[in-house]
Amino acid sequence: MKRGLVLLLVVILAFSAFAKTKIVINSNASDPAPREAFKHVVDLFQEKYPDYEVVVNTFPHEDFKTLLRTWLNSKEAPDVVTWFAGERMRYFAEKGLLLPLDDVFSDMAFEDYFPGSFKSASEYDGKIYFLPFTWYWWSVYYNTEIFEKYGLTPPVTWSQFLHVCEVLKENGVTPITIGTKYLWPTGGWFDYLDMRVNGYDFHMDLTAGKIPYTDERVKKVFEYWKQLVDNGYFLENHSSYTWQDAASFLFRGEAAMYLMGQFIKDVAPAEVKDKLDFFRFPIIDGNVGVYEETPIDGFMIPAKAKNPEGAKEFIKFLASKEVQDMYSKELGRLAANKDVTPPDAHAKKGLDLVLASDGVAQFYDRDTDPEMATFGMNKFVEFMTFPQRLDVILKQLEFQRRKIFK
Amino acid sequence: MKKKWWIPYAFLALPLAMYLIWVIIPIFQTVIISFTDWDSVSPSYNFIGLENYKMLFYDYYFLTSLLNNIKWMVGFVIVAIPIGLGIAMLMDQKFKGNKFFKTMMYLPMTLSFVVIGEIWTWILEPNHGVINEFLRGIGLGNLAKPWLSDPNLVTYALIFAALWRQISYAMVLFLAGLQSVPTEQIEAAYVDGANSWQRFWYVILPALRPAMVIAITVNVIDSLRAFDIVFVITRGGPFYSSSVMANYMYIESFNNYNMGYGAAIAVIQFFITLGFIIWYLINSFKKEDNL
Repeated sequence: MKRGLVLLLVVILAFSAFAKTKIVINSNASDPAPREAFKHVVDLFQEKYPDYEVVVNTFPHEDFKTLLRTWLNSKEAPDVVTWFAGERMRYFAEKGLLLPLDDVFSDMAFEDYFPGSFKSASEYDGKIYFLPFTWYWWSVYYNTEIFEKYGLTPPVTWSQFLHVCEVLKENGVTPITIGTKYLWPTGGWFDYLDMRVNGYDFHMDLTAGKIPYTDERVKKVFEYWKQLVDNGYFLENHSSYTWQDAASFLFRGEAAMYLMGQFIKDVAPAEVKDKLDFFRFPIIDGNVGVYEETPIDGFMIPAKAKNPEGAKEFIKFLASKEVQDMYSKELGRLAANKDVTPPDAHAKKGLDLVLASDGVAQFYDRDTDPEMATFGMNKFVEFMTFPQRLDVILKQLEFQRRKIFK
Repeated sequence: MKKKWWIPYAFLALPLAMYLIWVIIPIFQTVIISFTDWDSVSPSYNFIGLENYKMLFYDYYFLTSLLNNIKWMVGFVIVAIPIGLGIAMLMDQKFKGNKFFKTMMYLPMTLSFVVIGEIWTWILEPNHGVINEFLRGIGLGNLAKPWLSDPNLVTYALIFAALWRQISYAMVLFLAGLQSVPTEQIEAAYVDGANSWQRFWYVILPALRPAMVIAITVNVIDSLRAFDIVFVITRGGPFYSSSVMANYMYIESFNNYNMGYGAAIAVIQFFITLGFIIWYLINSFKKEDNL
């Protein structure tokens, strides 16, 4: 009898030990290239830590966004999830749904791994909740073949930019492509125009809900945007297209420029990749500093993770130079780990662009409240379709801001 | 042998329990949530009375969605039903290849709305989509429109896509209904000198009344449930102009973290649907009384 009990106990222990070694990762890296690269990361982890069994569940970006909340609240929470730095992470951290990562960095400080400027985007209330993995820059991607064909050089100032657009339009090429079906590409335009016109501090106050959208300075942002809309420089019927659909116009040479993150290279066909280059978003006011958008992607551990120890082990592995080097090389992204050098000339150029800037923002939907972001970006699309509605749109944005930021 | 009164209830117990857990209780929970400001993430919430419902009346996007649902309903009733009936009458004739055409007509029914949505996304695509390419090809290029990005057109384009399937559904209902039309009556009308239109209007159509009630009810309810096609093709965009209630509820609850507000939309939708179900039940009871 006693022996039977002991045996039972051993079996239970064995099973629980077995169950403990499982690490469940829910990932939003659904485009083929990042998905493949992440698989290699996981394979390497399995090789080094054979005690763990890593299960990766990959979800399309948009589905992931809505599902994440359900996972964080459920008893069957995954052990590690991919997510975005800044407000998007803080929203969950302040509700106690995330596990602080401080003990991951017990032997080495956060700053020993990552640039100090990443800390504010990764912490909430003095604790680190977010592991920065890769980051990328935004800029105006353009088709070099088309620029050569019409003798154009990358514009530096706003008036040069308008000139480039005009030449392209005259030649029957859509100057700027954009796909607004999923709204967010409009956020890039708003952010850049606001940062170029009003600077970083203003932009941060605005996204934090401290400045009315009816402010004259906000209106000025839209007036620059309106110049492009009124002249018909944007892709027609942009709200029918996803961001990838719109990118194909650039790849096919039907459109010349696309304000987009570096990840546009993930979806570019091999024969087009080398024809893509980028330039800094044009300067509007020389007295305003130069700011860039550099969203940081990374990982978090849900507070209800079943295997927090395994999750931390995995997170620590992800922070290492070796892994970040491997992943960033494969995708041409910039690694968050500061000891990793840019993987190629393209990335080096991107890094230099960021290093030469006066500061960086995340992105509209990462810097402001999620509800405000959905509403705001819908209004941006509406503005791009009916620019004459600007005054009403600004009033509606302001009404929403007051409702959300009480 | 004495009948035991409880036997039917014993057999019903399991389905009833499941119905209670997955349908009845969630309905009441939704009603309760609709009186709160729950964001679906926080563990706690406040009761805010009718605040969510009041807000709906000022919410331009909700009113747009409601209006779009009405457009869907009108399209489903005044387009899908007559055409469905017409095709059913045609398919009821005996002609060569009848079975083949019936199957072809029925085919859209076998596809899920998500697949239909994907297919129509491509058909309606403004630059290289089938419809616009076709119009340009036959020299009617000025009729080629940005179906999915023009806020005034997009809802009609979506209804059109949905009708493709809905018509075949109506056809099936009427085909079944036509089986029950007594042939003696038609023949009698024929003998009495009724022409084919009179035979249809005075004999067949009244006999199809039960099928008609079912078809209208099902179409109305389907139009209120509209979600999949909208979600796949436009997500309610551009800027909510093609949104329907179910889609708006989804965005509010799951995208904007306003579970309470989303629940209020769901409750409104529920009561509108319930109204039509009651109408259907009254009609079907009336029919039983007449027999």
